[in-house]
Amino acid sequence: MALPTKQSAAPNNPSLLLPSELVDKCVNEKVWIIMKNGHKEFTGTLKGFDVYVNCVLEDAIEYDRDQESGKETTKNLESILLNGNNICMIVPGGERS
Amino acid sequence: MEASTTTSASKTPADFLKSIRGKRVVVKLNSGVDYRGILACLDGYMNIAMEHTEEYVNGQLKNKYGDAFIRGNNVLYISLAK
Repeated sequence: MALPTKQSAAPNNPSLLLPSELVDKCVNEKVWIIMKNGHKEFTGTLKGFDVYVNCVLEDAIEYDRDQESGKETTKNLESILLNGNNICMIVPGGERS
Repeated sequence: MEASTTTSASKTPADFLKSIRGKRVVVKLNSGVDYRGILACLDGYMNIAMEHTEEYVNGQLKNKYGDAFIRGNNVLYISLAK
């Protein structure tokens, strides 16, 4: 979904894909976001992101695993701005495994 | 920032921040504490000023503040309240 006017970092090597270009391909797609602390995750439709990888998610679900009991709580959030500071990984597809 | 020149379908963080001012929001901090209230104003650091703020710890109402300022580094997410 790269814009035709945008200059790629490696125009001669189509197999080279920058990390931010991969995330760009996920805009308006389902993603699965895993946070740094290891017990919090989000899924939802990625509407956009910025240079800090702050993410706008729609129809998001927050998953939080309690450290002691191991019990997982979920919370539905219709529209959120997720701070990029604590994001560890973004997985295209949005299915948790 | 070229927030206004992005495609119509996508919504960048800058667009989101512009669209939620004056709305009811839930702000979750890294500590897990939730603040619900009306968003008065905010900036690119996610510093937030809120009105009619209610503080929820473990889902239970613990405190109410007329006005509150939240320093952006503590913010995990800002959610539009239903």
